[in-house]
Amino acid sequence: MMPEVGLQSYLLLGALLFVCGAVCMAMKRNAIGVLMGVELVLNGANVNFVAFARFNSTFEIEGQIFALFVIVMAAAEAAIALAIVLNFYNNHMTVDVDTAEELKG
Amino acid sequence: MDVQTALFWILAGLTGLSAIAVVVTQNIVRSAAWLLFTLGGVAGIYFLLGADFVGATQLIVYVGGILVLVVFGVMLTAQGPFVTMKTSAAEWAISLVVGLLLFSVITLAAVNAPWPQDAHHSEDMESAETSQNSVKLGAAFLGIKEITPKKDLTGFPMGKTPPERKQVAYLLPFEIVSVHLLVVLIGAAYLARAKRRRGMPT
Amino acid sequence: MESPGLLYVAATFLPLASFLLLLLGGGLRAAAKPVRDTPLGGSIFRGLGGDAPIKTGAYIATGAIGLAFVLSLIGFILFKQDHPHEAVEHTAPHQEAVEHAAGADVVQDWRLSPLSLADPSRWSVSVDWASLNMGSRPATTLSLGYHIDSLTTVMFLMVSFIATLIHVFSIGYMGDELQPTVEDHQVHTVDGHLRRRGRFGRFFLFLSLFCFSMLNLILADNLFQVFLSWELVGICSYLLVGFYYERRSASNAAIKAFVTNRVGDAGFIIGLLILWTYVGTLNFEDLFRKIRLPENDIANVATASSLRHRIVRAAVVPGEAPSRDGQKLQISAGGDQVVLFPEYSRHSEEVRKALDTGIVDAKFAPRTGQLGSMPYWVLVVAGLGIFLGCVGKSAQFPLHVWLPDAMEGPTPVSALIHAATMVAAGVYLVGRCFPLFTPEARLVIAYTGGITLFMAATIAIVQTDIKKVLAYSTVSQLGYMMLALGVGGWIAGLFHLITHAFFKALLFLGSGSVIYGCHHEQDMTKMGGLYPKMKVTAITMLVGMLTIAGIPLFSGWYSKDAILAQALGFVQEYPKHILLFLLPLLTAGITAFYMFRLWLLTFAGKPRDEHVYEHAHESPRTMTVPLIILAVFSVAVAWGWPLYDAEASVLNSTIEQSEPLSAKIEFATVHAFAHGSHALAGNLALGLVLVALIFASLIYHSRVLDPEEAKQQFPGIHRFLWNKWYVDELYSAIIVRPALTVAHWCRKFDTRVIDGTVDATARGVVQLSRWDGRFDLGIIDGLVNLTARVVFAVGGRLRTVQTGYLRSYILFLVLAAIGIFAVLSYFVAFVRAG
Repeated sequence: MMPEVGLQSYLLLGALLFVCGAVCMAMKRNAIGVLMGVELVLNGANVNFVAFARFNSTFEIEGQIFALFVIVMAAAEAAIALAIVLNFYNNHMTVDVDTAEELKG
Repeated sequence: MDVQTALFWILAGLTGLSAIAVVVTQNIVRSAAWLLFTLGGVAGIYFLLGADFVGATQLIVYVGGILVLVVFGVMLTAQGPFVTMKTSAAEWAISLVVGLLLFSVITLAAVNAPWPQDAHHSEDMESAETSQNSVKLGAAFLGIKEITPKKDLTGFPMGKTPPERKQVAYLLPFEIVSVHLLVVLIGAAYLARAKRRRGMPT
Repeated sequence: MESPGLLYVAATFLPLASFLLLLLGGGLRAAAKPVRDTPLGGSIFRGLGGDAPIKTGAYIATGAIGLAFVLSLIGFILFKQDHPHEAVEHTAPHQEAVEHAAGADVVQDWRLSPLSLADPSRWSVSVDWASLNMGSRPATTLSLGYHIDSLTTVMFLMVSFIATLIHVFSIGYMGDELQPTVEDHQVHTVDGHLRRRGRFGRFFLFLSLFCFSMLNLILADNLFQVFLSWELVGICSYLLVGFYYERRSASNAAIKAFVTNRVGDAGFIIGLLILWTYVGTLNFEDLFRKIRLPENDIANVATASSLRHRIVRAAVVPGEAPSRDGQKLQISAGGDQVVLFPEYSRHSEEVRKALDTGIVDAKFAPRTGQLGSMPYWVLVVAGLGIFLGCVGKSAQFPLHVWLPDAMEGPTPVSALIHAATMVAAGVYLVGRCFPLFTPEARLVIAYTGGITLFMAATIAIVQTDIKKVLAYSTVSQLGYMMLALGVGGWIAGLFHLITHAFFKALLFLGSGSVIYGCHHEQDMTKMGGLYPKMKVTAITMLVGMLTIAGIPLFSGWYSKDAILAQALGFVQEYPKHILLFLLPLLTAGITAFYMFRLWLLTFAGKPRDEHVYEHAHESPRTMTVPLIILAVFSVAVAWGWPLYDAEASVLNSTIEQSEPLSAKIEFATVHAFAHGSHALAGNLALGLVLVALIFASLIYHSRVLDPEEAKQQFPGIHRFLWNKWYVDELYSAIIVRPALTVAHWCRKFDTRVIDGTVDATARGVVQLSRWDGRFDLGIIDGLVNLTARVVFAVGGRLRTVQTGYLRSYILFLVLAAIGIFAVLSYFVAFVRAG
């Protein structure tokens, strides 16, 4: 087993969540899936914040405050993202992000 | 192993596995379900880290709000049962490689950086009364100082001392963020208003 | 009147004015032709002749030359008043005061006149119009002017009179040309004979120009002016011989005439240039003064000298090298240098010193008063060069070939130009330049004349074309004149020139009348028995024939006797040149023979061609009246008193006034001999002539001897004579064929080599440009295109980066994040330190 669970473990967990979220964003063809990836990324970041708040005394409470802000922002962003996805669905009859290739150069 | 370590491993394992499952699952509804577990696990992590207010907020907002929203979205944009959007193996491979790369980079950074350690933390974590997380949050919003005395700080890199801190009041940013949220929601409502469908998907 | 010499100038310019008027008229008519539908254009066009020529031009030309004749007659009378007829030896030589610039001031000087003139300013004027300054030497000038002596007046009278008569004759003769379309039977085109507009006016245009240039030639006082007129008469001859230029024969004859003349002119130019270079002047008077020792000077030094009026030869003094500006010469009879005397006699001391001591101090660039020198052989060459010009112009052997062919021109042209005037210009010039000729040159002149007169006469015996006979007769008579001049008979030669002009013009016009009457039939073998039909023509031609044969009391007798006497005198002085007497004597007989043959074949006997005989008719009055006038003159022009004395001719003594003193003095003994043997020569000639006449009548009238038999018995001789001694063939082989061959080579060279080079260059350039094009298209454009394609390809490849897929964008985001992370961890110190 690892030695004492310290800051680094939580950072690793945050990293894992972040990477999963990034990979999910990169891989999912469903727009909602991409959204889920975004949530994962934000959560990973939040875990980092809170871990630092816990283990770093200069950062004592600010980390949690920032995590709160992030959660609020995540909510707002999720609402917008969903509205966009719905619009997309209305226009294209599908939520496959691969169909949104108008930016193809 | 003490409880915290065990709890950490259980929660971290749950969160991690769920996160991976979110990525791996083909079915979108199942992805949402796994996301639920991930978010729940993260909330647990928060509790473990002594940020109970944040954890509670996580559960309320994220799980109870955002995830529901996601599920609504899944339902609203439901395709036929035989339409699955598969990613090709090549893309799997590339994404995996990139993900591993990113993970390794972050891990390297995290492991090699000399984070300053604080020996103070374990006492506050005894009980919910002593942690007083919400109180601290509220005080921080209002700008009341409460900082750890200097003498208890250890592990600063290269003999540096923490700078003199001025306590900042976080109430204004909080209000701004909430107003921002309001605006965003209005916008989202506008964006998602009912429009005529352009015909049936082929 | 102040300067009656101007009368002659006016007379010369009258035909020029007529020429310009006719030219203007013709030009206006041609200009008005395209606009002849408009009222103004139409009236101009029709007024100037319209579609058919009008006679107005002829009247203008005839009027002009007639007026010129009147003026020259007045001038002649005035001249006679100024120069009463007396022996030249008694005439005091006139010393004219002349102002000329010597150095910085104007000096009055005395100029000597070897030819005595009463008052030179009345009868000679000279205007300098171009001056060539050659540095140290005095400036040489070109001038225009006139110098009138008795020879000029007589020549002027003769030329203008005969020209007037021929103008009148032509108005009738050229009547065919008055129609709007003339059909030329000798030119064949694709659809029958050639049809063209009549060219009446053009004939008189050319005639006027010719008259002007001939009169100018007679008037001239310097060789350059003579040369100008020389060329101009040559051109007129070309234009008139080639009058019917559509006929191949006519155009060839015109070119032959001009080219042969030009060959002679080459010699003329050489002579001109030599004289200009060595003597420094082209004026006759000045030339003669410089080349021969002048007769008199102020100090009367040279009068007594035995060398007066002679070419003074000298040799370089042995032992004395020539200095920078002169050399010392010793006067000696066989020397190789000629002493050039000063024009002005102010420094006659020099002349006196030279004659006294015998040593001449000759300068290379003599100033006024100094003596100069030139090599003797150069003077000989100069004389021969000028004579060559005369050979060409007067159709002497070897340049005689053009005159018979020149009969292609209309008959009045043959009469005026090729009988009376233009061909006489050569003889006239020899007479004028007489003091220039050295004894060697004179001998060449005499022998040339001798050969020519014999050759031409023999050819004339067998000719059947009436005009050709007359042409060869002209050549022969010109030979007589040249021979006369060569042996010192200056007066005799020019005397014969004048009489010949009249009777040859008469003969030609008479033949023209015959041709006109027989509807342009020229072959004598088709004529015969025309006497009853054309009485006036026949009688006048008989008169002309008798004159040329030399029957006493006709003008030809006087002049021919003078020539023969002179030749006999020369032979008595220099017995080894006996040929110079025998040839003219024999030829006198031959001349009579063939002329009588001509008359008999044409007018006597039975008609040989019924068609010609039926349509023969007498010519209209415009043509017969000149014939009668000319006949009268050809009989009476040489009469003197007493009539039977051949030496008492008035014309003879008029010409004698102008005889150069050098001729008088150098040929003094010859003249004496000639005077003594005049009767002998005349009687010998007369005897031969009568024998020839009897012989001719035996053959052609009484048919005792048959000409056909003669032709068969002497086929070789006949062929030789018929083919004109094969001279034309000789020229063809020596000159024409090689020239054509060279021309062919040149043409081949030009087409193959030069054109080939040009074409090859062109092809090379085209090829080069093709390569260049390929290079440009391929490589240059290729490079540019390649760049574009590469950019396009790269862009196309790069374009795929913009997949449009959200997921790949996210991947790139992540990769970028990794990159930034890596970079940061590489560079950020505290991370590395840890």
